[in-house]
Amino acid sequence: MFRPTFNFRLAFRLLGMLLIIMALAMVFPVGVSLYFGDGSQFGLIASALVILMVGLFLRNFLGVGATYELHEKESFWFTAVIWLVIPMMGALPYLFTSTVSNFTDAAFESFSGFTTTGSSVLSGLESKPQGLLVWRSVSQWVGGLGLILFVVAILHRLNEGSARLYEAEFSGTLQRRLHPRMARNVVLMWAVYSALSLALFLLLFFAGNSFVDSLCTALSTVSTGGFMTHDAGLAGFSNFSMGCITFFMFLSGINLAVLFCFFTGRWRQVRNDEEFKRYLLVLVASVLLCIIAFSIAEKHMGWSTVSFSLFHIASTISTCGFYTSSPSVWPMMVSVVTFLLIFLGASAGSTGGGLKIKRIMILARYVRNYFVRMIHPRAVLSVKVNGKVVEDLYVIRIFSYIFLYLLFVAVGALVLTICGSDIPNALCMAAANISNLGPSPVINNLGASLDYIQLQPFAKWTMMVLMLAGRLEVFAIVSIFLPAYWRVTR
Amino acid sequence: MKKGRGNKSSLRNGNNLGMAIRPLGIPLVGEGIAMMACIIPALYFADGTVWRILAAGLFTVAVGITMLVTLPRRSATTGSNDRRISYLTVTIVWLALTIFGALPFLLVGIEKTGASETLSFFNFRFSIPFSNAIFESMSGLTSTGATVFADVESLPASLLLWRSTTEWLGGFGIILLVLAVVPSLGLNKYSLYTAEASSADNTGKTSTSMRTMVQQTLTIYVSLTLFFIILLVATGMTLWEAVNLTFSNISTGGFSIYGDSIARFTPLHQYILTIVMFIGGVNFALLYSFFTLRWRRIGRKLDQFGFFFLLTLLSSLFVVIALYGHGGLPFEEALRCGIVQTVSVITTTGSVVADTNQWWTPITLLFLLLCLCGGMAGSTTGGVKVMRVLILLRTVRNTLTNRLHPHAYNPVRLNGRPVSNEIITNVMVIFIVYVITMLLGVLLLMLCGVDATESLGAVFGCITSYGPGLGACGGFGSYAAFPAVAKWICSVLMLLGRLECLTILILFLPGFWRNR
Repeated sequence: MFRPTFNFRLAFRLLGMLLIIMALAMVFPVGVSLYFGDGSQFGLIASALVILMVGLFLRNFLGVGATYELHEKESFWFTAVIWLVIPMMGALPYLFTSTVSNFTDAAFESFSGFTTTGSSVLSGLESKPQGLLVWRSVSQWVGGLGLILFVVAILHRLNEGSARLYEAEFSGTLQRRLHPRMARNVVLMWAVYSALSLALFLLLFFAGNSFVDSLCTALSTVSTGGFMTHDAGLAGFSNFSMGCITFFMFLSGINLAVLFCFFTGRWRQVRNDEEFKRYLLVLVASVLLCIIAFSIAEKHMGWSTVSFSLFHIASTISTCGFYTSSPSVWPMMVSVVTFLLIFLGASAGSTGGGLKIKRIMILARYVRNYFVRMIHPRAVLSVKVNGKVVEDLYVIRIFSYIFLYLLFVAVGALVLTICGSDIPNALCMAAANISNLGPSPVINNLGASLDYIQLQPFAKWTMMVLMLAGRLEVFAIVSIFLPAYWRVTR
Repeated sequence: MKKGRGNKSSLRNGNNLGMAIRPLGIPLVGEGIAMMACIIPALYFADGTVWRILAAGLFTVAVGITMLVTLPRRSATTGSNDRRISYLTVTIVWLALTIFGALPFLLVGIEKTGASETLSFFNFRFSIPFSNAIFESMSGLTSTGATVFADVESLPASLLLWRSTTEWLGGFGIILLVLAVVPSLGLNKYSLYTAEASSADNTGKTSTSMRTMVQQTLTIYVSLTLFFIILLVATGMTLWEAVNLTFSNISTGGFSIYGDSIARFTPLHQYILTIVMFIGGVNFALLYSFFTLRWRRIGRKLDQFGFFFLLTLLSSLFVVIALYGHGGLPFEEALRCGIVQTVSVITTTGSVVADTNQWWTPITLLFLLLCLCGGMAGSTTGGVKVMRVLILLRTVRNTLTNRLHPHAYNPVRLNGRPVSNEIITNVMVIFIVYVITMLLGVLLLMLCGVDATESLGAVFGCITSYGPGLGACGGFGSYAAFPAVAKWICSVLMLLGRLECLTILILFLPGFWRNR
């Protein structure tokens, strides 16, 4: 009889390494706050030291002598633990700089950051220390590609285990690899990701925005997070900057593998990628609908209508969640399109959230085949994506995923209604959080608005669970709560 | 007259279309007779609608008989074309019954006007607009129970009985459809309805003939109706109330003859009606086996019923606690209202025991989810059906455990038997199509100018055949204030929900009408 022994040492070691990396990443916010002297230096340095110490303790004390073996089963557990502990530790800077008053708010902000959701309980952003704003965006950037990808890149010894962790964290088999070797694949992904971020940062900086504004916005955009540096959102940005942001939001909704192909000149692969085509199609269609709706509502059509529609749709479909105007002035059509896009989400293998276009594509084809089979029951039909047949088992998995996703939305909404929200708002907010969009854009149109700031602690924790579930694509989270997961197997 | 083979197999062929329409004859005759039966209260209460109802009934019977006489019988062919005719027939029957069912509303609503009226029809004016009549008729025949009449009590007695009767007929119709007609047409090869406690599930084939099935269903349905009418009268309800309420509750419809639905009745009557609704939510094959004492046939195959019962129990408990704890109702009232309303929701009946708009929001949301879940497959309820929800949940669980043990044989089981992949995908496709339809429905209603909460409630109310929605159309309210377009959308949703989406949506597939 085989009793599953969980590889705790490896878990501690990985966790420790991640925490050390996190502490190193805090160099940016500390540097910024030292430069501006905004009064948050000590808090940030203290939290960095605490995180570093915990990391070292875990890596060099508890995690000593870890064997680099990982079973399929363990990968879920690992992923869940890492995604719980890291955001919790990431909440320290908020507490130490006394930006927020209680732990719940700090954890909310941190979870929202690492899961690239962008729901915020902070208000009066201008008065907050600059270093902390940078930390918010850094946390999004780190969470954007996935925490575990960090370690996978470093640990060459993990071999198969790395692939398992990768799948547990990152859309499973939906993602196309950039390189057959996992470690190389991950390095390439980080390269593309960093290049995008750097490019946007430079563009924004040379367009005349302040250093902190450009840095934060660049990090939040490429990771499709959506934290902003001003209460007024992006209203202070020039047209050129907005254009850049729009374009990069559009880019970050694309599968990284496709982007990689694009940058390395393999354009045929880009052109033949079916998901990319659908992504473009959805984008163009929704932008057109938006333009029409806005033109009718404002009785004139100008360049500003077009650019705003582009910005709005790119921001929604990439689940970035930047909004510049109050949703209450949107025409109903815009809200409707927005709501549909929240569920749809970005491409699989991108940093965006939502149900992912590829899944919907597979589903739509399956349902179409199903209708044909209703008339011709013996027809042999298969679902193909990019020329590859998708097996029935996999389709069932997608169905289950969507069912669970909806179940999470329903439960989240139930909790929100207990806290006093009305039903449409609750559904919107739950959907916005599980798809990692952030601010619930349809909300004001529906009557009683419920801000994240007003939420009760219980509701905030529920939203955190939703964010995490959305980021880890539900399965990894739900699996560890199954009795079968913990049952002793032979 | 000889026709080419290609031409013969196309649906555009008039002969085939005739075959598709012919089965309409018998239901129409039945509907006409039921309409004429509604003159009894008209005579008794002398509300002056006798002749109009009689005319509507006679006209319906006449059309039905004409169809039976003139149209060709269906030939015993099988194949893709036959299947198409079947899908078309099912939809056409429901649509036509709805249109004819709207006749009494239109005829009774006709008023004589001055010649100066521009929108008049031979100096007559319909005081009930066409959209309202169709809505009400659709709501009755799909046993939804959503009403467009803000003041129900002002309607003549004959119309009140007609509303209850449409629900009774609709409830009977849907059981017949799913238990007998659909399997015999070979449409739903993965039919779930007979899977529990019928003789069909041993072999997987429908060994019970359609005629037996109809007889069994009719027996059980009629005797239950009679039993509860007698029970209600014996406990002190008037015959008029007892007939109407039993008709609308056993069919899980939910029309009432009073503006406050069932709120005005004594607690005892409300509890009896709850039992009526609950029975309406149980698979009729199971009921038949139970009442004819064939308990061995039921045996341990009670997965679905168990889940249904448990779900009802737990949700009632939640609602009762919420009403008592948060709503501050006295215990007796909280208990009664909680149980009655929860059963009404999960069986998608739509009888309302208190002004649910005033209840705590989480209860309302729970109600939306419950009516989406619906009662057992093979009953008169709407919604996705407990059976499907059960299969969905088990599939999700298995999908997760299969990832842990990829090579284990671990099928989804129902009543101890493995469920085939075809059934699972069938259930999932229906669920997804259902959800998408609802999403689009909400958005369309919002575009029509209905507010978000109300459109959400209306879509849930209509597609699951529960009836009342939220806000103005919820509680004791009605759909009267909806714009006409929204009423039509709601009517379509009711039909889609009743026929489980796929049957109707397939008609809109381009391939359906093409000859292949």
